[in-house]
Amino acid sequence: MPSLDFEGRRVTLAPDDTIASALFRAGVRTFSRSFKFHRRRGLYCLAGDCPTCMMTVDGDPGVRTCVTPAADGQTVARGAGWPSAERDLLSSFWLLRRLLPVGFYYKTLIRPRAAWRLAEPRIRRLTGLGSLPLDAAPPPREVEHHHEELLIVGAGVAGLSAALAAAEGGTSVLIADEGMVGEKLPPGPTRARLEELHVRVREREAITVLERATAIGVYEGPFVPLASADRVHHVHPERVIIATGATERHGVFAGNDLPGVWLGRGAARMLGSHGVEPGKRVVLAGSTAEVAEHLELFQKAGVEVAACAVPEPLASELPASANALTGGELLAVHGRRGVRKAVIATQGKRESVRCDAVVLSLGLVPRDGLLRQAGGLPVVGAGDVVAPGCTLEEACVSGRAAAGGANELSERELPSPCTAGFACLCEDVRATDLEDAWAEGFRSTELLKRYTTATMGPCQGALCHEHLRAFVHERAGDGPTSAATTARPPARPISVADAAAGIHLPHEQRTALHETHLALGADMGWIGSWRRAESYGDWLAEYWAVRRDVGLLDNSTLGKFRVAGPDATEFLERLYPCHIADLTPGRTRYALLLNEAGSLLDDGMICALSEGGYYLTFSSSAVDHAETLLRDWAETWALDVHILNQTAALGAINVTGPRTRELLAPLCSNAIDSEAFPFMGMRELSVAGVPCIAMRLGFVGELGFELHFPSSRSEHLWMELMAAGSELGVMPVGLEATKLLRLEKAHILVGQDTDFDSTPAKLGFEWGVKMEKPDFVGKAALERLSALELGQKLAMFDFGDAAPPEGSTLTVDGTHAGHLTSSQLSPVLERGIALGWLLRVNGSFPETVKAAGASGRVVAEPFYDPKRERLRA
Amino acid sequence: MALRLDCPRCGSRPYTEFWFDSETRPLGQPGDSFEHDFERVWMRPNVAGVQQERWFHYAGCRRHLTVERDTRTNEIRAIA
Repeated sequence: MPSLDFEGRRVTLAPDDTIASALFRAGVRTFSRSFKFHRRRGLYCLAGDCPTCMMTVDGDPGVRTCVTPAADGQTVARGAGWPSAERDLLSSFWLLRRLLPVGFYYKTLIRPRAAWRLAEPRIRRLTGLGSLPLDAAPPPREVEHHHEELLIVGAGVAGLSAALAAAEGGTSVLIADEGMVGEKLPPGPTRARLEELHVRVREREAITVLERATAIGVYEGPFVPLASADRVHHVHPERVIIATGATERHGVFAGNDLPGVWLGRGAARMLGSHGVEPGKRVVLAGSTAEVAEHLELFQKAGVEVAACAVPEPLASELPASANALTGGELLAVHGRRGVRKAVIATQGKRESVRCDAVVLSLGLVPRDGLLRQAGGLPVVGAGDVVAPGCTLEEACVSGRAAAGGANELSERELPSPCTAGFACLCEDVRATDLEDAWAEGFRSTELLKRYTTATMGPCQGALCHEHLRAFVHERAGDGPTSAATTARPPARPISVADAAAGIHLPHEQRTALHETHLALGADMGWIGSWRRAESYGDWLAEYWAVRRDVGLLDNSTLGKFRVAGPDATEFLERLYPCHIADLTPGRTRYALLLNEAGSLLDDGMICALSEGGYYLTFSSSAVDHAETLLRDWAETWALDVHILNQTAALGAINVTGPRTRELLAPLCSNAIDSEAFPFMGMRELSVAGVPCIAMRLGFVGELGFELHFPSSRSEHLWMELMAAGSELGVMPVGLEATKLLRLEKAHILVGQDTDFDSTPAKLGFEWGVKMEKPDFVGKAALERLSALELGQKLAMFDFGDAAPPEGSTLTVDGTHAGHLTSSQLSPVLERGIALGWLLRVNGSFPETVKAAGASGRVVAEPFYDPKRERLRA
Repeated sequence: MALRLDCPRCGSRPYTEFWFDSETRPLGQPGDSFEHDFERVWMRPNVAGVQQERWFHYAGCRRHLTVERDTRTNEIRAIA
């Protein structure tokens, strides 16, 4: 027999059970503990509109168990309560309620200032509806896009009628319902009509029906996301019809939140659809004809009806067995663990009726949260959502009218203002809380909402919104102060995974050598979306390998572009601040990429491969930006150039260190001595049989060759290089060592050492900018800026034997003088070295600074090999 | 109709396939006054109405589109 696990207890399931119905059949009455006071809450609406049945199901908190089908093997538990929801010591908060007035956290714990900081985490732990599972991320949720012309939310009589009418007119339709079509309806004329419509809808090819797909909200577009079990549907319709029907009016009176108080349709569904009596002795209270329907249902099932509190006209229609209390008004419900008796005022006197369930039929309230979110969008309502309580025939007409694009919202009467009981079940806001807040001056629906948090819980005001309005309306009359509050998504509780569906799927790029690095024990870090080896275990050994012997760096994440075509040279001349035309094949140049404001966007190498054919590199994280920029300018200038992004197609390995030639020369097809292959040169040669574009560069300050080659040959080349260097002390080198190596050369990292407004002058890179060129991107801005005094510059610092933390503030005699962007102890120089932004102090740039207690000296030349003898070796 | 851009090369696609680049701005000319250049580079009119924008179709043709969009309604007037 199928069963679920409820807090360690086995609960057997009947066919068509929801989790809530199975638990109720098994005798569970306390379904949750309330948000603030930890009061017992039982089943109430059974339609997914209220918060009382929310539990943690299979680790997900906040699941509405009354609309979630029960399944064999589910694990279900109540979210709040200590030590348990059944025996919750925190319910003593109710006894302390005078100490916990509305907005108490605005009024108490203010002094000493640390009080709130200490109290807040504890308060957070005591409130709420459960805990988020923090030990494992849920699998990323996928998105399915839909592009039907018309979306209908709610597959009831009105929704299905609208779908048929629209399809007859040649419109493609998607109709979605949060349950299965018709599942909430007991057998009867409505169910019959619905099934007939459903059959006709299924015959239509133009109509797609999505069941168990819950609309989260209506966004600009319109755009409507629908959450379902395994994915989120993103619907992009031209028009939307909201046919979400109506929910029953929430009753607000003393004791209205006790387990055993039911909305009528919920109680009827529990009995009619699930065959479980909502109580043994029931009081019916209401003002609609549904009281008579419920009476008949209960009496047929053998449930004792203790009393019917109904207004005069209804009383005369009830049979004598109804124990009608004519003109009776439900004043209060009493009980501790659940309903024990109801107090009813009738004909001038009070009557106390013993009972264990109170069933309310107070009328219908449109479930119009989605409709109210959709202001200004082509969204209309149909059926109960615009005319609550409409007949079957009216619902059909309303649906067909909505398909044509029109429907009037009917004006509705507000309920009588509440004076006792819980107005908002989600956030535990009582009528007296509203009164207190009003007395404190929060005198409009919007202000009351924010101060008391009424309407802000999981039900988003489905139950309490109109009570809030009625409360204000009684005191302030018509007008904006008593207007409906703004409705916002989500209309139904959703998981974080639903909200993030499809948007932030982690995008991970790996170089062709990823597995090779892992096999070498690399610690793989993130550089943008790329994974790169931080170190292979001993970053200092990697550092020394480069300084003393030879190291290999996987540089495949670099942006790599080919630029060619008749206008390629002109294009690059106009783009870059350096000269391009004099760059003969076989030479490379370090180039700055500027924006129109003259600030550095990126740096990289330009090589002339042939006459008018260029190879460009960019920083790993700047590839996309570089591509948009290149293409934008090429198009804007209408130049005939081809731009090819080869970032993924080519791999890159930097072989660097004093013994590089010893390693590389035997593998190379051509000579690589200084004469054949000078510093800043470029050669096309083959290394271990792999065709390479080789550049002789020196980012880390040693003799080095950067090899670019088809990425499919990466592993072969890496292995050959490692093998050739085994006698030479070769090591793979990660980013950690690289960052220190380049700092010793004072080579900048764009983004770490630069800001959005780092101009070449501030960086000391004037040599990279040829102002005599007729024009380049950013030239006008640089001319404009050259008239201004330089307020700050990137400087190099020597801190002796200390290395202040990166980000440290620089001071001169206590005056702020900038901050450090890179700072480390240099093993080879045996001193603390740093790069940082230096501000003018008293009109000039200081020569000495302090940072984190250490004294530093501004130096003019790179720390390591300032004469570049090692590079040119 | 959600915000969709009718890419001249790829067809109608959701805006999530594109990166918004910027409003289109006039090109600078050598000899522009400093004031003019400053305005051009730094100031954005941010109009409530129709403006011309550049979008980059990163998940498609990886080319730019020039889009005329009404910022109040997201109505797309023209795409080239």
